[in-house]
Amino acid sequence: MRNLLVAALLAAFAASVGAQGQKSTYKVPRTPDGQPDFQGYWTNLTYTPYERPKELANKPFYTEKEAIEVFNKAVDGSENQVVHYVNTDFGATPVQTGAKPNLRTSLVIDPPDGRIPPMTPEAQKREAARAAAQRAGGPLARTWRDDRGTVWCVFHERAVPAVTAPYGSNYQIVQSKNYIVMIYEWNSERRVISLDQAHGTVPLYAGDSRGHWEGDTLVVDTINFNPKRTFMGSPGTPPAVSVTPTFHLTERFTRTADDTIVHTYTVDDPMTWTRPWTVEMPLHRIKGPMLEYACNENNVDAFTTLRNARLQEAGKLAPPDRTRSVEDPKATVLEREEKK
Amino acid sequence: MTRATLALVFATAFAAAFPHAQAGRTLSGPPTYRAPRTASGQPDLNGFWQALNTANWDLEAHEAAAGPLLQLGAAYAVPPGAGVVVDGPIPYTPDALAMKRKYAANALREDAEVKCYLPGVPRVMYMPYPVQIVQSTDTILMMSEFASAVRTIYVNGTARPPADTWMGWSNGKWDGETLVIDSRGFMGGTVGALDEEGAVHVRFLDRAGNYHTDGLHVVERIRRTDADHLEYEATIEDPNVYTRPWTIRMPLYRRVEPNMRLGDFKCEEFVGDLVYGKYQKK
Repeated sequence: MRNLLVAALLAAFAASVGAQGQKSTYKVPRTPDGQPDFQGYWTNLTYTPYERPKELANKPFYTEKEAIEVFNKAVDGSENQVVHYVNTDFGATPVQTGAKPNLRTSLVIDPPDGRIPPMTPEAQKREAARAAAQRAGGPLARTWRDDRGTVWCVFHERAVPAVTAPYGSNYQIVQSKNYIVMIYEWNSERRVISLDQAHGTVPLYAGDSRGHWEGDTLVVDTINFNPKRTFMGSPGTPPAVSVTPTFHLTERFTRTADDTIVHTYTVDDPMTWTRPWTVEMPLHRIKGPMLEYACNENNVDAFTTLRNARLQEAGKLAPPDRTRSVEDPKATVLEREEKK
Repeated sequence: MTRATLALVFATAFAAAFPHAQAGRTLSGPPTYRAPRTASGQPDLNGFWQALNTANWDLEAHEAAAGPLLQLGAAYAVPPGAGVVVDGPIPYTPDALAMKRKYAANALREDAEVKCYLPGVPRVMYMPYPVQIVQSTDTILMMSEFASAVRTIYVNGTARPPADTWMGWSNGKWDGETLVIDSRGFMGGTVGALDEEGAVHVRFLDRAGNYHTDGLHVVERIRRTDADHLEYEATIEDPNVYTRPWTIRMPLYRRVEPNMRLGDFKCEEFVGDLVYGKYQKK
C-alpha cells in the first residue's frame, strides 16, 4: 500500500517540480473566451510548514529524495492524529484529500529565510493589547462573537489570503469572460474576482479583488479588507493579527500542469510588518463536487459552548477535562480514555 | 378574518376584476427574442439580476399591511402586490393550509430569513437582493448577496443529489433560448440541538408563511426577453404539502450600474445576538 502511494505521489511530484520555477513546455488549456482555464476543484492542503523551521534557514529546497522522506513522515504523523476525531476515518487527512510533496521547505519563500518579517513596534503594541483585551474576558465564552470555543460563521478567514488548514481546504473555480469566482469549501466562502472593474470603496471580508492577465498568469490585486476580521491564527501559522486598512494582497496564479496551479501571494501592510513577504502555495486538482457548508445552520457549537459557559459560572457544571488535548497525537480517543 | 384568508379573498377578487392580468404579466418581451451568445454558443445570462416585486413578502396577491413590530411603523410595513403565482391559489392540502396559517402567525420565529439561514430555491431568486450569474460552459453559478448563498447549476448534469442541502442540487440543460433547471435534494427543516432553540422547522417561500418541506422539487425556466430582462419561472412540487405542482413567474431586472458588484451581506453578524442571546453573558 505504502509503495503504491509513493509511486502515485512520484508521478504527481514530477509536475510539482516543474511548477517551481523551471521552464515548462506545458500548454495551458483555454476557456472558450481564450483565457487560461483554471476551472474545476483544487486543494492547497499541504504538509509543508507555513514558516520554515529555523534549522533549515539556509535550505529553501529539499532534494527530491528528502522531499519524499519528509512527506512520508508527515503522512504517518497525520494518520492517527486526534483533533475532535480520527481524521483518517473520515478520509480527511491531507494526503487522503490531495496534498502532494513539495520541494520547498516552507510556504513562505520571501524573506529568503522563509520566516515572516518582524512586526513594526506599533503593530506589536496593538496586537499585544488585542490579546490582553481578549484574555481579560476570562476563560469562558461570553458571546457568540468571541473566540473561546464558539464558532464564527460570518467569514472563514483561511479563504483569503490562503493559509494552511488541517483539512478541507478546497476551492471550486468557475470562469466567465469577465469574472473568476473562487469558492472555498469552509463556510462556502466565495470570492468574486472582476477582470474589468475598478476597485470599489466598501470593504469586504475577503477584500475587493480585481484581476488581470499577464500572459498566462492571473494577477489579482486585493484591497479593502473588512477591518473586523483577522489574518492567520490557523494551525501551523503565527497567531492571528488584525487586518488593517492598508493591507494589500498581490497574487499570481499560473497553471503549470493539468493537476497544478502555482499560487503565490505577497502580503504588504506597512501598518503591521516591516517589509512585504511572499508565500507560494500550490493548488492541486481534486475530484468534485463540493457541497454547501451551511455553517450558520449547523452552529450547534455556539449554543452548547455558551450554555455550558453559563452553567459553569453558576456552578452547575464541572469545567471540561483537558487531558484529551493534542499532546499525544498518536493516541486514539479510546487509548486516551483508558489512560484517564 | 386571518391575514391568510384575507389574501385568498383578495386574490380571488383580483382575478375576477382583472381576468387578463395573469396572462398580461407573464411575458416581458416577445418569445422570439434571441439572446446574445457566450463564447461557447449558449444564451448569455451573465450579469446581476434582481426581482422588483413583493414576492418575498407574499407570493400570492396581498394588500398592504402593517409590519411585524409596532416601532418600525411604515418603514417595514408590507407593500401591496398582485402576486406571482400563475395558477393559484397555492394548492395546499387542508392540513398543510392550516399549518401555513400557524407559520404565518409565528413568522418571526419560523422564517429562515430572520435568522440568516440559507434561503433555498426558488426564494433566493426573488429576495430583495441582487443575484449574480457567472456562466461557464458546464457550470453556472447563481450567487445572492443574501447570506452569501451560492447555487451551482451543473449544465447537462445527470447526477442525483449526493446529499441534501439547503440550496439543493441543480442539474440544468439548455432548451433553445431557455435554461431549464431541475433541483432536488433539499433540506426541509432543522435537526438536532438547534430545534430546541426554536429554530425553523420548514423553509418559508416568503415572509407570509408560504412554505415547503424536504419533499421539494423545483423546475425553473429562465430566458432572456431583451437586453436587460430575464423571464423567471419556477414550478414547485412537494407532495407532502401541495395537491399538485404550481408555478410562479416574474421578470428579473438587470442591475445596470456600471460598477455593480455583490456586497457582503453576511447577515449572521446581525442575528447572532438574537439567536444565541439567552446564553450570552449579560
